[in-house]
Amino acid sequence: MIRPRLLPYQIGILVAVLTVWQLAAQQHWLDPFFFSQPAAIGRRIVEWFASGFIYRHLWTTALETVLAFLAGAALGVAFGFWFARSPALSAVFDPYLKIGNALPRVVLAPIFTLWFGLGVLSKVAFGVTLVFFIVFFNTYQGIREVDANLLNNARMLGATERDLVRHVLLPSALVWILSSLHTSVGLALVGAVVGEYLGAGRGLGYVIAQSEGTFDTTGVFAGMTVLAVFTLAIDFIVTGIERRLLSWKPDATGRA
Amino acid sequence: MVFGGAYTRRVTAIEFAGVSRRFPVPRGGAYVAVESVSLSIAPGEFVAIVGPTGGGKSTLLNLAAGLIRPTTGTVLSFGQPVLGINRRAAYLFQQDVLLPWKTALDNVELGPLLRRRPKAEAEGLARQWLARVGLRGFENRYPHQLSGGMRKRVALAQSLIVGPEVLLMDEPFSALDVQTRALMENDLLRIWQDDRKTVLFVTHDLEEAIALADRVLVLSAGPGARIIGSHLVGLRRPRDVTEVRLEPAFQDLYRAVWSQLRGEVLRAYQSAGAGANGRAGGGAVS
Repeated sequence: MIRPRLLPYQIGILVAVLTVWQLAAQQHWLDPFFFSQPAAIGRRIVEWFASGFIYRHLWTTALETVLAFLAGAALGVAFGFWFARSPALSAVFDPYLKIGNALPRVVLAPIFTLWFGLGVLSKVAFGVTLVFFIVFFNTYQGIREVDANLLNNARMLGATERDLVRHVLLPSALVWILSSLHTSVGLALVGAVVGEYLGAGRGLGYVIAQSEGTFDTTGVFAGMTVLAVFTLAIDFIVTGIERRLLSWKPDATGRA
Repeated sequence: MVFGGAYTRRVTAIEFAGVSRRFPVPRGGAYVAVESVSLSIAPGEFVAIVGPTGGGKSTLLNLAAGLIRPTTGTVLSFGQPVLGINRRAAYLFQQDVLLPWKTALDNVELGPLLRRRPKAEAEGLARQWLARVGLRGFENRYPHQLSGGMRKRVALAQSLIVGPEVLLMDEPFSALDVQTRALMENDLLRIWQDDRKTVLFVTHDLEEAIALADRVLVLSAGPGARIIGSHLVGLRRPRDVTEVRLEPAFQDLYRAVWSQLRGEVLRAYQSAGAGANGRAGGGAVS
């Protein structure tokens, strides 16, 4: 793979940007009040972890992300499966699904806050609206694209309709669902953070919003950095899961 | 006309009585795939159906399998009408139908498991069958890790493990290269020789049909394909498919059947050309 040889360059870019930024802030080419500086951001992050301040926020965001993903994926798989198996149903609901998917979901966040309060639940509900459609459409497509010969072969071997679901339809759709996993987990996180940002008592989005409210740019950047690392960690886990579940595929590199 | 040969007195493994099958066409109307087909196949008989590409050959197999119902006429298997999936038949498809997310072993043991056999029994049986088709040591490979010929062997084991009385085969070896194909044909004959299941083998390759079968049926070009000839193959068994082709009796039979088939192939070829702007996908396939 080319990865090991790319790494020095990738780190080099990061170091260069941080150095220029730090230098520019120290020389007051950039106003540190508006742009902060890497050293201060680093100190802030260390302080957050040392004091333990950040943990409950991280935990809240992680919890919301996982719950939104699980609920959204479960609903998406269930409905995708159901609609794919009954064409009449999907034909009737088609315009509503299109409307629901086309609607910028951010406008729902305030309503969910009204309905479900400032806590975890409103963020999960918001995340679900983001995750649901991705998983729904992929499941729907996955079930519809199942090779008719695979189904006929399983039928000849003695499969009942339930066996077909278990041995052919779901595994076949799983490929599609997993290919959307990175997107849907990412969207669950977006849902959590945006929800927190718009109104919450804890979570990374809340931390960023609070810092912003007090013109604390260092806090905003520190929050962003923690969020970015958190996202990378989640993505890493997802890639691992994907590799495990798709180990039978010829190109089991994990990326789809 | 019923092409039953000398076997019609006994109970038949597969019997078609005046079977027609029409398919609706997207633009309206219907495409007649097979028209008043009557045939009967005795238990233990190896029958090959040859016909031009794009004819009704697969339709006949699907009817015998119970995957589709006849528009008119009846299909019987061991004296009983085929109304759902034919539980006494196994089907070897032209396409790759192994489940790509299951290993060779998991694919082969699928049939017994679906028929609610205990897991240990199914697995033991699957191992035996994989060994029988020459794939010992490949149990844990996924289909994409096997060659085309190996995948066909796994598919063969997958079909035979359920102990079918009738084996339906739809140009199963057409995607293989010539050498692999001859090896597979010989393996099929060897396995068949052991317990002589009834085989209905569909192909567009006349040489393959004669080399394998006890009887060759000739199907006319579609639409409205019908059986226009039945030829007994008197070649002795066990046969080697590459050697049997050199026998004079083989060549005489080949000439006789080909004289019948040739006109149909030509007709299919011409109608495919003329109908290229007509029915979508109705031309020469496979």
